[in-house]
Order: sequence, then structure tokens, then C-alpha cells
Amino acid sequence: MIKTTSPKTRFTLFVVFGWILLILGDRVGDFKLYQGSFVATYALAITSIILLTGYSGQLSLGQSALMAVGAYAGALTIFNAGLHPIIGLFMATLVAGIFGLILGLIVARLSGPYLAGTTLALAISLPTLANQFPILGAEEGIVFDVGLPPARFGEDFSQYKWFFWISCLATLIMVWFVANLVSSKYGRTFRAMRDNPVAAQLSGINVGRLKVMAFAISSGVAGLSGGLLVMLISGVSPSAFPLSLSFSILTGAVITGLYSLNGVILGGLVLVAIPEIADSLVSRIGGSEGFITTLPGFLVSALLILAVVFTPNGPGHLIKRHHKK
Amino acid sequence: MTQFITAVLTSLSSGAIYALMALALVLVWRSTRVINFAQAGQAVLTTYIGYTVIQRTGSYWLALVVAVISGAIIGAVIDRFFMRPIFKRIKSGPIVMIAPVVATLGLLGIIQAIIGFIWGLTNQAIESPVSTDGYKVLGKVIAFSSYNLLVLVSVAIAMLLLTILFQKTNIGLALRASAYSPEIARLSGIKVDAVRTLGWAIAGAASGLAGMLYIPGYFLFPNAMDLLLVFGFIAAVIGGLESLFGAVVGAMILGFAINFATTYVSAQLFFPTAFIALLVILLLKPGGLFGSKKVRNA
Amino acid sequence: MIRNKSMKRASLTSAVIAAGAMVLTTLPAQAATPGVTANEIKLGISSPTSGSAGTAYGKIPGAMKAYFSYINANGGVNGRKITLISRDDRYFPVLAATQTTKLVLDDGVFALVGALGTATHTKAYKAAALAQENVPDLFVNTGFSGFGDTTKYPTTFTVLPSYAMEAKIMSKFIKENFAGQAVALIAQDDEFGIDGVNGFKAGALTIASTTLYPQSTLTDARAKNLLTGLGALPGKPVLVMMGTTDVTATILKAAESLDLVSKFTWIAGSVGGDANTLVGGFKVKASTINGMLAASFFPDAKDKKDEYVSQFMKINAKYNKGVSFDNVVLQGMNSAMLTVQALRAAGKNLTREGLISAIEAKGSKFAGAGLVPLNYSTSSRVGYNGYWFGQLNAAGELKPFGGKLSIFTTDSGSGAIQPSEFKRPTMPKNGIPTNS
Repeated sequence: MIKTTSPKTRFTLFVVFGWILLILGDRVGDFKLYQGSFVATYALAITSIILLTGYSGQLSLGQSALMAVGAYAGALTIFNAGLHPIIGLFMATLVAGIFGLILGLIVARLSGPYLAGTTLALAISLPTLANQFPILGAEEGIVFDVGLPPARFGEDFSQYKWFFWISCLATLIMVWFVANLVSSKYGRTFRAMRDNPVAAQLSGINVGRLKVMAFAISSGVAGLSGGLLVMLISGVSPSAFPLSLSFSILTGAVITGLYSLNGVILGGLVLVAIPEIADSLVSRIGGSEGFITTLPGFLVSALLILAVVFTPNGPGHLIKRHHKK
Repeated sequence: MTQFITAVLTSLSSGAIYALMALALVLVWRSTRVINFAQAGQAVLTTYIGYTVIQRTGSYWLALVVAVISGAIIGAVIDRFFMRPIFKRIKSGPIVMIAPVVATLGLLGIIQAIIGFIWGLTNQAIESPVSTDGYKVLGKVIAFSSYNLLVLVSVAIAMLLLTILFQKTNIGLALRASAYSPEIARLSGIKVDAVRTLGWAIAGAASGLAGMLYIPGYFLFPNAMDLLLVFGFIAAVIGGLESLFGAVVGAMILGFAINFATTYVSAQLFFPTAFIALLVILLLKPGGLFGSKKVRNA
Repeated sequence: MIRNKSMKRASLTSAVIAAGAMVLTTLPAQAATPGVTANEIKLGISSPTSGSAGTAYGKIPGAMKAYFSYINANGGVNGRKITLISRDDRYFPVLAATQTTKLVLDDGVFALVGALGTATHTKAYKAAALAQENVPDLFVNTGFSGFGDTTKYPTTFTVLPSYAMEAKIMSKFIKENFAGQAVALIAQDDEFGIDGVNGFKAGALTIASTTLYPQSTLTDARAKNLLTGLGALPGKPVLVMMGTTDVTATILKAAESLDLVSKFTWIAGSVGGDANTLVGGFKVKASTINGMLAASFFPDAKDKKDEYVSQFMKINAKYNKGVSFDNVVLQGMNSAMLTVQALRAAGKNLTREGLISAIEAKGSKFAGAGLVPLNYSTSSRVGYNGYWFGQLNAAGELKPFGGKLSIFTTDSGSGAIQPSEFKRPTMPKNGIPTNS
């Protein structure tokens, strides 16, 4: 048993955490709020991978494509249809989820590297389609505007704080939802399916249907994080969703501990903090132009590898604990 | 008609290039069940080494030999000191496939940073050792040159040699056994770890060859083989990841699909075609064309 | 259960770590005018210096820094030294947004210079709230015409002529010199292509074949297929290539392989037409580029007789050691020179509004290497707005077509294409501006 927290405790936990973030938001400068928003957004994206890969055992390299679908859906809703940003984010989730449902149905028979290859191909090809439909705005893209913070919050309530509130709230709600899902019988079924698909099928679990469901929900989550991401950069472009984004999120998920939602914030934090650390280290060390240019990339890769190898919630540890029970 | 002939010839050339990378990826997969994203880094690193040899000695062929040998060494080093410690920490579940992916991605970043630091970020070029002018057939110049022929022939020879190695030699047997049944192989006295390192070395040599053949038709910079890695992987998956012949076939299919689609339909179908080709084939055969989880040979 | 507690602890621990990380920062002290002190002016640039785009454009920050170092060594600007903070965005919009925001909020720069890329900078502009904070966004490194739109980008000043302008002037040139020949366009499918296609339309040029390719997909195989198809066009078609230099090189080398070089009249867009890089870096044959046409608004980067080029070369040799001088370096240093003049014109009492007004009022008179006029005014944020047409010789030098330098200016819309008698201001002594 991974989690036996009661739903009530879980809810309280999330509410408490939400309050902590609220208070935090008042204490911290704008740039940190901005970075915090990215932490939340990446944490959400990592959640989608944990659900898809950690819980239902499907390795996907295509999260960036799903995020792109959500992002464009959201942007079109707000900009072209003129609807409220909340509806935009909702549409991001819904459209991506439907897309994931269809995708899940198509790739249901694939597994392992074959699924990985297919999702990889999707990740590199989907964004390029955006340049072919003028309505999608090409490289300048479509503006994703969540509007200014409501006037009643006062003069000092910056745009970045607004971003922070929206992204944290969206992430908290979605992660809470997913946490409930994996603690329910669905979660147990997912894990059974992941660990021993044959046995699961024999005990009557419809593996195919569950896999598709996982794909759909995970895609919806990814779509929302895509919407949040383009909210933070105020617009969507095809090049905002390169293949490397999929890789980053996967890395973050491994660092988090692929099988549990507990450390998603840590994963998001690592994705934002490690480039920061690399940048400031380089500024302090200085050196030749070539050194300054290549060192951040080197440090980021090295630190990520170290984090993967030495993760605190390490996959190795988790498996051991699992077997001890 | 000319357009059609050109499309066919360029597809062969593209396919040959994708095959180079696909072979290396299949080699790593077969010997260690790892998708090695760092292969792009290894390949470009050995090509930079080859480039330096050319700068010093002016000989392409010497550089080729050095690149292949250094590729083998680098591949072995990566497995011994990087992949093995990682594998010790993970045992089962989806993490077995994912952790190495993430680790090799990190390795790719490190290699590219090192290359940028040593050789700089600007474009370099490696001249082709043979002519890049198209052959003249019946008075017309065709879209196939000695260079294209060199790549095609090299791929064919590499595939043949590797197949012979895997099928007909004791080492090949050891390689196959260590990958699919490590426990049994160990019981038979095979040093599984050492054999796996050998697998990485061979793959490294193959990617060293790939780089030195690919770059003369393109340019040399740290990220030069990133796209090739993606297409090589897709080609390998199409072919089934288990078979070297499959890798070449998959690469050819990809080459033909992309070139024909972009030439006859739209230039913007470049990436979507790869996706669709892969999807169509996997829907028909979820394990790739020549891959099958049950059949453990070739 | 222990399990529960440890899980709860893990979640709370993560939360606390996250919280702690965020609080452990002091809020930056806000100066009266951010980025300006009694002896320093902080400027910021977000551009790709690593990755694939870094290969092409990575030299820009270094070139700018070199020029600023030169000026600092010669008294600075009104007694202040210029510090350029360069952040790598690897051509990713998300990174551009975060790095630009960092420059404004964290590094506290006074103004941004030389931002690069359309997808990147359009996002960065909004994300960093440049309009709201009135942060001057000087001399962006892109030919996207949209940046001249003051309602969307009120603090931005372009410097490069837009791709639309280039396409319009190219249309006129082609119609006058190659009337009756078919025209084919090969362009990258982003702002290059779109601006270009619109520009050719505005220039009323009929194009027989347009190929828009996604970035990095024009491989040798694709180029050969493309050229084979275009080779079927009658006569001697004009082939316009609007893409990056590596793609121009790929197309030219494919033509060499197919023996189609003499079949076409080649025109390279300004971004992809750097002859030095084509021959030196990419090994295109000198005989191939001999006769190729290219539009430019700068003097040739190899033209040592040009006073600006030779001065920049000297600065490059002294302050930018190890970096070879080319069009990219020339462009960077030129923007740096314009920046210095803008800062000087804004006066000793340096404010962001003051800087913007100074460029509006005096920018059109700034000295620079550009051979076409600068168009800054109270109603225009557009910098260079023209081109001259040149022909490359076997040595890779771009010489004015027909022997005489003819400059044409236009806008990015439907305005007319007009000949210009513009004469470039003489360079201030030693390349050190003395304007006010």
C-alpha cells in the first residue's frame, strides 16, 4: 500500500499547502513569484507523466505535444472566441484530454520503446503543424492573456503574483484530483496493471481500457500545464514546445520519484533551480567566453544526472519498501 | 520522370544515413535494452576527433579509422563508468527503461558542452573523401554521387559484418545471451558485464562510422547529429529494434516516405510523415517490422 | 501508520524546501532609475549563445561587449561605464521570457539591447512587462516587421530592415533586371517566409513556385528534389533563397552536385547571404557564389577600405580576441555603437523615458556602418529601412550591382519603393561617438 491517507486528510493537506503558498506570495519578490509559477507549472506536467508512466506504465516522450495542444486550445478560446481565461484553461484541459483519449486508443497496443518512439515522433511533428494554419499565428503566435489582476486586489498586486496565484491554484486542484484518483481503486488497478499486466488481465481488469483512461487524464493534465506555460509567456508559438521539453519533464519525474506524487513540487523546483544555480555559478566563476557559454549546459546536465542517480525518493528505495510490505 | 528518379535516389541516400544511426541504436538496445540518446553525442564527438586528425594530417581515411576506434573506446567507457552504476540502482518497473533514457540525455548535454568548450560553437566542415558531383548517366547528371554510393555501400557492409558477428561468432552468441537471459548467461560462464561493455563498444564504433560518413554531406557543430538521432530512433523502431536488417529496412522506409511526401505533396510534411509512417507500421505490427518478443534470434 | 506519517512528512518537506528556497532571497533594492548609478549603466541582452542557434548568432553579445569595452576605456558615456549582461535563451521562447524577466527584475538593467528572434522576443516582451515598466528595447536583432508596431511593442526600436522590406526591394530589382524569367522562392516557413511572401506580393512580383520549409528540414536530399523540380522551369529562373546561411549552403552544394548552378540566377536573402561563411565555413565553391546576387544594407564585412569596417575590425582584434570578424560581429558592433549614441543623446540625467525620446528625436542622425538611412522619429520606431543590391565575385566580395551603389528605401506595408540619395554620416574619430 502506497497511500492510505484518508480523502479528508488529503484535502486538508492541500488546503493547508494552499494557504502556505498564499502567505508566501506576499513575502517574496516578483521574480521569485514568476519562477514559482514555473515550478507549479512543471510540477503539474510532471504529475501527468507520473500518472501515465509511473502508474499505468506507459512511457511517453510526447508530453510537449500534448501541452502544445492544450496551449493552443486555450489561446484560441481566449483570443479568437473572446472567452474568459478560466474557460480558456478549462478548454486547454478538455481538448488535450480528448486528444489524449484518441491518441491512447490508437497506441493502445504499443508498449516500451515502441510507444516511446511513437510519442517522440508526435512531439517533433505536432508543433510544426502550427505554422501551416495561419489562424494559429505562426511564430508570433497567439496571445494568451489572462488579463490584469482584478482591481480589488489593489495597486501592489503585480501581474506576476496573479500568475503565481493562478498557476498554484490550478496545480493544487489538479494534483489533488489526481492524488484522489491514484488513491482510489483506480490507482490500485493501475499499479497492478503496471507491475504484472498478465495477472491483472487474468483477474478481470480491462487493461486496454484503463491504459486509454490513463492516457486521456494524463493528457488533460498536460494540456492544463501547457495552458499555464503559455500564460506565463503571454503567448503561444510552435517553438515554445520543443522536444527537449518532453525530456525535461521526464527528467523531473525521475528526480521526483516516478511512482509517487509526493515530490512533484520538488521535481518542478529542481527543473527551475538547476539552471539558476548553473547560471549564477558561471557568473561567479567567470572565465573565457567559450567557458561561460558552455558551462551552464554542462552543469545542468551533470546536476540532473546526479539528481537522477541519487534521488531521495529514489525508485530503488521505493521498490524495496514495496517489497518489504 | 526526372523528378521521380531524383526522389528515388535521394530516398536511398537519406535512408542510408538514417540507417547508420539506426544500426548503432539497435546495437545498444540489443546488448543492454537501453535507448541511448547519448549516441548522437558520441557520434559527433568522434567526428570532432576525426576532424582534428584531418586538420593535423590531411587524411580523411586515417581520421575515419581513428573515429571508429575512439568511438569504440568512448562507448566502452560510458557503459563501464556511467551506465553500470546506474543500472545497479534500479531493478524493475518502468523505471528500468526511463532512468537510462534520462541519464543518456544528461550525458548528451555533457558531451555537447565539452565539445563546445574544446572546439568552439561555430560551424566546421569535413570535406568528402570522394566526389560529391552527381554521376552522369546517358548524358544527364543524376542525384547520386560517389559520396552517396560510399554511404550506401558502407551501410551494407556494416550491416553484413555485424550480422555475421552476431550470428556466426561466439562473441555474438555471448552478446545475445547476455541481453536476453543474463542469469543463464552468467551460469554458463559468460562475463555478462564485460560482454555488455563490448556491445556498447561496438555500437560506439558504429556511430563513429556514422558520424564520419554523415558530416561531409552536412556540417559539423555540436548539435549536428541531434535530428539524425531522432530519425535513426524512429527508423530503428519501425524495423523492430531487434534486428539489424530491420534497422536498415526501417531507415529506407522512412527515407522514401519523407522524400516522396515532401517532394510530391508539401515541404511541410517532413516531420508529420515520420510520425505517420511509424504509426501505420506499428498499428499493423506493434513490435515493428522484424521485431517480435517471442522470436529471440537475429 | 508510519507509512502515512512518512508520506505526509515527505509532502510537507517538499513544501518547506520549496518555500525556503523562495524566501531566501532579498528583494532587490529599487534605484530611482533602475540600472543606472553614478558610474555604471547596466544593459541586458537575451539571445541564443549555445545550441544550434548559438552556432549562428552566438557572436553577438561578445561583439557588443567588445565595443562597449572600447568605449569604457575611452571615458564611457557621460562618465559612466557600460556593463552588458548577457543571458542565453537558446532560441527557446520560454527561456527568452524567463531570461528577459530576470534581466529586468533580478539584474535590474536599465534597458535591453539586441534581443533576438521573433517567437522568442514576442513572448519575452510581454512576459517581462516591458511596456508596463517602460523598459527601452533597443535595436532588436530580427527582421520581423511586427516589431515596428508601436501599439503592441511601444518601447521597441528595430534596427534591421524587415524581411518584407527586403522582399519588396528584391521584387523591384528582379522586375527591372530579370523581366520575363520565372521566379522561385525557397523560404523558411516562419517569419522569413511569411514576411517575405507578403513583401513580394506588395512588390507585385509573380512567383512561379513558392516552397516554405519547416526549420532544419531542408536537407541535402530535399534540396536535390527541390532543385530537380525547379530545373524544369523554362529559361533561366531566378531563385530566391530566404533562409539561414546553412540552408543557403545546402542548396548551393546540391546545385553543384546536380550541375544546376548555371541554370539559375541565384539571389540570397541578407540573413543567408554571407559569402565568407558560405565559402569558408560551409565550403561552397567560390565558382558557385561568383555572380550570386544579394541584398545588403551594410558594407561588406571584408571591405577593409570602409572606415567603419576597419575600425570595428581593430576593436574586434583588441577586445574580442579569438573571434573572427564577420557580418554577425559587424552587426553587433554597429548596434552597440548606436546604443552608445542613444545613451549620450539622453544626457547625463539618464531616464528610460529620456532614452526613448532621445532616439525618437535624434536617432535618424546617428552614425553607423549602415549604408541606408535610419528612420527613427516620434512616429516611427523603424531603423534601417532600405537595401542596396550587390553581386558576389569569386573572392566572396559583395560589389554593387552594375557598378554603382543604388539604395532603395520602403516600408513593410504597401508604401512605395523609392530610390534614396542617402549618404552615410562620417564616422566619429576612432569610432568613438561624441554626439549629445
